[in-house]
Amino acid sequence: MRPDDLKFQKSHEWCKVEGETATIGITDYAVAHLSDLVFLDLPAVGSTVTAGESFGEIESVKAVSSLYSPVTGEVVESNEELGDNLEWLSEEPFGKAWMIKVKVTATGPDLMEGAAYDAHCKAED
Amino acid sequence: MAVDGALLELATEPTLRIYGWQPHAVSLGYFQSIGDFQDLPANTSLVRRSTGGGAIHHGDELTFSLVLGADRLPGDIKASYALLHDAIIRALARIGVSCWRATAGAAQSARPSDRWCFQTPVEGDLITDEGKLLGSAQRRIRTTTAHGSARVLHHGSLVLQRPDLTPFVAAVADQVAVTDVTRSELRACLIDELAKVLGLIATSDERTPAEHAMASQLRESQYGARNYLHRR
Repeated sequence: MRPDDLKFQKSHEWCKVEGETATIGITDYAVAHLSDLVFLDLPAVGSTVTAGESFGEIESVKAVSSLYSPVTGEVVESNEELGDNLEWLSEEPFGKAWMIKVKVTATGPDLMEGAAYDAHCKAED
Repeated sequence: MAVDGALLELATEPTLRIYGWQPHAVSLGYFQSIGDFQDLPANTSLVRRSTGGGAIHHGDELTFSLVLGADRLPGDIKASYALLHDAIIRALARIGVSCWRATAGAAQSARPSDRWCFQTPVEGDLITDEGKLLGSAQRRIRTTTAHGSARVLHHGSLVLQRPDLTPFVAAVADQVAVTDVTRSELRACLIDELAKVLGLIATSDERTPAEHAMASQLRESQYGARNYLHRR
């Protein structure tokens, strides 16, 4: 089950905004469709991410996919353990498999609630 | 690589590009470490792909890039490979070359230690009794143009004759003589079968000025740049 306090992007990232900080990851739907994850590249703490633009990359068996930020701001934490524990993405995509935390200056224009995201996933299948 | 990158960003129609390599070169997968290739001959040309997977020694081969909207392929990545690989099996059969998709019994490493794409076939790879015949890899993005649509770059390297650095591969030459006629027929069959499986009609076209300009920019800023090749 997805937590009900998240917002979603069409490109299958989720974000949870608490105060001025957004926690960002990828959804269970994305993980299921990527399958067999092997590498992850995340931005360094202190770097800037921009809503709608790539903040990192993930490789499943022979497919590299870009990850897109739902918000603009400065990266204040990066989940450094995740790259060596990619199984976390299957186990807890909305929990310990979070990717980055960002001090938000702006949110993207196209964030969806859970119900709209579910409909988007159904349309993609 | 730069042209493929430009097509991925800008091509407005599904685009198949078929090419070869001069000089012969080694391409690294996007996440591979260049430190793992220090033992290559000093004059080896190197480039880093934007697609994943292992390194390929591009010798006498038929290389192709296919750029299209993700909605034209199955959402599941393995299923998208299966669809395209089956079309390539049919294309090869038309010139008398037999190959098949490796089954679930093939090696499937979570983090492949093999540095070469062709070293150990995994499930879904196109193989013959001699080894792996086709290297494939994808890049998936959402463009900032075209309303943020999801797009796929699918790379394929079909070995015609066995390259020096990776003698363990299978080759078309194992089964049929590789002549100019074979090359031409294979190219035509590949275009035909890929178009058919995607429900498209193939036409020939030139790159647009915008695609040329972006390819030049990517050649300078990315694929021809030392810091991109040495990023890992």
